[in-house]
Amino acid sequence: MVLYEEVNVHGYDEFCQAVSDRKGKEIFAYFSGNKDDKGKSWCPDCVKAEPIVRGEMSHLPEGSVFIYCQVGERAYWKDPNNEFKKTLKLSGVPTLLRYGTPQKLVEEECFKADLVKMLFTED
Amino acid sequence: MSPIGKHDYDLVVIGGGSGGLACSKEAAQLGQKVAVLDYVEPSAKGTKWGLGGTCVNVGCIPKKLMHQAALLGTAVKDAQKYGWQISGTVSHDWSTMAEAVQNYVKSLNWGHRVQLQDKKVTYLNLKGTLVDKHTIRGLSKAGKETILTAKNIVLATGGRPKYPSNVPGAVEHGITSDDIFWLKKSPGKTLVVGASYVALECAGFLTGIGLNTTVMVRSIALRGFDQQMAGLVTDYMESYGTRFEWKSVPTRVERLSSGALKVTWTNTQTGCEHSDTFDSVLWAVGRSPETKALGLDKVGVQISKETGKVIVGADESSSVPNIYAFGDIGEGRPELTPTAIKAGRLLAHRLAGRSSELMNYDNVATTVFTPLEYGCVGLSEVEAERRHGKDGIEVYHAFYKPLEFTVSQRDSSQCYIKVICEREGNQKILGLHFLGPNAGEVLQGFSLALQCGATYPQLTRTVGIHPTSAEELMKVNITKRSGLDPTVTGC
Repeated sequence: MVLYEEVNVHGYDEFCQAVSDRKGKEIFAYFSGNKDDKGKSWCPDCVKAEPIVRGEMSHLPEGSVFIYCQVGERAYWKDPNNEFKKTLKLSGVPTLLRYGTPQKLVEEECFKADLVKMLFTED
Repeated sequence: MSPIGKHDYDLVVIGGGSGGLACSKEAAQLGQKVAVLDYVEPSAKGTKWGLGGTCVNVGCIPKKLMHQAALLGTAVKDAQKYGWQISGTVSHDWSTMAEAVQNYVKSLNWGHRVQLQDKKVTYLNLKGTLVDKHTIRGLSKAGKETILTAKNIVLATGGRPKYPSNVPGAVEHGITSDDIFWLKKSPGKTLVVGASYVALECAGFLTGIGLNTTVMVRSIALRGFDQQMAGLVTDYMESYGTRFEWKSVPTRVERLSSGALKVTWTNTQTGCEHSDTFDSVLWAVGRSPETKALGLDKVGVQISKETGKVIVGADESSSVPNIYAFGDIGEGRPELTPTAIKAGRLLAHRLAGRSSELMNYDNVATTVFTPLEYGCVGLSEVEAERRHGKDGIEVYHAFYKPLEFTVSQRDSSQCYIKVICEREGNQKILGLHFLGPNAGEVLQGFSLALQCGATYPQLTRTVGIHPTSAEELMKVNITKRSGLDPTVTGC
């Protein structure tokens, strides 16, 4: 039985909506560059990190939410004024974070299964 | 007891602060199997925090950020003289500042956690006690026990603020530096009891953000620092708006029906009793080492009867051969983050058998981040006189005016420099004292100079950067001995 809820969103507005719909819940978010129609992301680090992150998802706390957010196309991401960079203060993709806390893993940090597990399980 | 030669870890460090983290990470990098235990006993008011120790959570970091908040308030006032049009009055919101500071500290807690994991240091959120010289008992918050064995044990548990023992109401109604940085609401009108750098720095930023602040001093300010400089620091604070109650000791703290705190004190010079009401009382009357609950007596680790700190050798060793102690709990050691970090790293190298280099605790530069900052390296004037005799030293000094103070019409009466040198021989610089803006930044380079044995002639032969306040250090030429006016005039 799956203990957490997985939500898939595209873009900043959908992400914010998904968060506000789930007030009071513990939310983890994974930000990735958009996948093409073959399911491959333009972001090579995101391609590498995803199976590692998914591999640790069994450790997600009961009742938590995992939001998988595709941020947009490469050109949108490269713009330093995009909403993810400006408002959420994301510095790179992939980013895996515990929403509402400073706990996050950025880029190569997402390749380390033990760090991903630590983010999912420690306070 | 573990079988001989087989311990769980090569090294267990008790304490995850500046020293403990540096030591454990370095040891792991050198191939040792390391665990670090960190546990924060909540303050009397219930405040607690994450990994990183005093500096990160309730010391240097939040202090400097709040000091910066206060300086910005002064800068905003100055800005108008420089042409900035600021409509209306400028006020400070404590919650905005506190939330930003607290979030930054939490990101540091996480950063340290990631680093430990990355460097393969086992992190345990347990309160560690010594069972025997190779065994540690770790207790979790829930009371669960874990036993670890280690070849070497390092104690780096730091210190916590003291409460006065003889003032009724002190614990129930007062807070300490453990609490001030984590308050969600403004402390309001505050009485700071104490005159250490902790007291003065806190009183300084509280005044700077617009709060009615009083400092209550039992005897002298900044004990251990050059007293002439300490006087100038407090003179500036008084002119800046901090109230001082000198030669006074609190006798009781009571909570009134209004919710305010009534503090009664005695002026020890006049013998008169006074009282006033405050929203908060901040005790900054010293820190005590976290050595009482370590089980040191059981294992034979000797502590100083006077201070409670662990008696250590030059290599940070305790009276028990495989147990070491450093950082704030080491007897006679400076209570500073950079010395703890460096000592921790050198200790790790020695324990891994890679080097025999000892920590050099001499000529460590420090800065007191009061509203007008005081940076110093080397000896105080009194200490220099004690070691070399009054006739054996030459004291060069100058009152200067930072250029930025001119247009903003700020009072620079306490902006002062003192360079203490040996009078004979090559006139080696023994101590350097700077009171002025950005003292920490100004002084860092000069600490290198002292490390290299810089002399007064070398100082005067070095061309200053213009226009800065730091250049006044290169130009200092009036001696105290001459009795001439040390005020710098013009370019």
